[in-house]
Amino acid sequence: MSGTAPATYSPSPTMQNKKRAPIFTDVDWVRPDGRGFRQCRGAFLRTGAANAASGSAYAEFGNTKVIVSVFGPRESKKAMMYSDIGRLNCNVSYTTFSTPIRGQGSDNKEFSSMLHKALEGAIILDSFPKTTVDVFALVLESGGSDLPVVVSCASLALADAGIMMYDVVASVSVSCLGKNLVIDPITEEESYQDGSMMITCMPSRNEVTQLTVTGEWSTPKIHEAMELCLDACSKLGDIMRSCLKEAASASQE
Amino acid sequence: MVGLSVGEKHFIQGGIAQDLRSDGRKRLTYRHIQVETGVIPQADGSARVKMGATDVIGSVKAELGKPNPLQPDKGKVSLYVDCSPTAAPMFEGRGGEELSTELSATLQRCLLGGKNGAGAGIDLSSLSIVEGKVCWDLYIDCLVVSSDGNLLDALGAAIKAALSNTGIPKVQVAAAVSSDGQPEVDVSDEEFLQFDTSGVPVIVTLTKVGRHYIVDATSEEESQMSSAVSVSINREGRICGLTKRGGAGLDPSIVLDMISVAKHVSEQLINKLDSEIAAAEACEEESGHG
Repeated sequence: MSGTAPATYSPSPTMQNKKRAPIFTDVDWVRPDGRGFRQCRGAFLRTGAANAASGSAYAEFGNTKVIVSVFGPRESKKAMMYSDIGRLNCNVSYTTFSTPIRGQGSDNKEFSSMLHKALEGAIILDSFPKTTVDVFALVLESGGSDLPVVVSCASLALADAGIMMYDVVASVSVSCLGKNLVIDPITEEESYQDGSMMITCMPSRNEVTQLTVTGEWSTPKIHEAMELCLDACSKLGDIMRSCLKEAASASQE
Repeated sequence: MVGLSVGEKHFIQGGIAQDLRSDGRKRLTYRHIQVETGVIPQADGSARVKMGATDVIGSVKAELGKPNPLQPDKGKVSLYVDCSPTAAPMFEGRGGEELSTELSATLQRCLLGGKNGAGAGIDLSSLSIVEGKVCWDLYIDCLVVSSDGNLLDALGAAIKAALSNTGIPKVQVAAAVSSDGQPEVDVSDEEFLQFDTSGVPVIVTLTKVGRHYIVDATSEEESQMSSAVSVSINREGRICGLTKRGGAGLDPSIVLDMISVAKHVSEQLINKLDSEIAAAEACEEESGHG
């Protein structure tokens, strides 16, 4: 990484004490955790979180804590049809204690298929024919922007497992609150948002693997949000890569 | 799945590259859209939309319910898509489930807007009857009767047509509140309020085959896609939702180009749909009186 640290990410997970939700007016408000509108939460990433898995990773972005294990490539189930490319099986689950109200996390049923779609374009599936790679993600604590954190963490776990990929997949979301675009929103901000955009991309190939937009957007706003996301994704990609390098050099010693 | 020989694949891809698709259409031309409204008498509003061999039914049913405590001044809308095994043998049992949830989630994202209802095609506050006590629950159920590609656009059109066919019964709220705190409501079975559908967006799916994008892909063409972007756009030309399908990555500039193409296509589609819906309504009225 270069000497001048990027403003968006700092690998120091410091969370201030909880403050009450301000009312989001258009003019002047401070984000509940005191960040700037274009400032991401501190990212803490570690590989090798679970022993039994071929590869695993733990990610902590503010209060959002996620653990992802990757198993395989292993033989596909007998019932599966023959396939000359590998299969990817993704599952995202929430612990019952991940949300303020118990068991609320199960609302996010489509996350598994979203994770699959975000990753499949990045993995070189030809490299493990007839086999399946399982990606199991568990959200330990839901603190907003859960899916982007899951996606980034899953790609780190895949890299840790030695699955061949074109590039790491970094993911960032922005929320539209009134006139403002707020990057890497926390739960509170997400519940007030007028719209949201999530991008998962491969930073060094400059390719978007998955993109979802909700709410009403004008075209210039979409441009602005995409630029913001892609910039943050490339910075997150650097951090992910340095985390992998660190783990690799540590294991060599 | 569609089984195609190498020759057929080349024919489809080559045709798209030369702007002449296998059924004679250009890249940005839709198949003929046929709309029929009021097809399900038990529902409050319904429509059947055919795009070529793709055939879907959308129905709307309104029921009285309790509003969400977090949004006491708004009604609720739930959207569900059913892929019937009559459409394709692979939808049998749990086979259609994955596609159903994917379509439902995408339609919800495209039509119902953000979490707090901003940018929604349906004005949720118009469904409120007594704040915090009673509201309308709108159940939008779709059925895929036959599938030949471009399901999402067809379902979006069917929902739009079904909503414009929907009459919400007029409700009288009694002034006196009964003992349990629930206000008494009297639902009229003669007077109906027309649902405002001017804000309901249309969905345009651009399927990328080779270096070009096409609209309204048939299932044969869909089997050759690298990725597809579905954009929902309302009459003002604002984007109400967007999803990407397909594994292949896209360059950000291509995504933005696809959005602007989709915006251009949506203008024609909205006009075409509106006239089809109006014609279908007129046709239904005529047969109803005759």
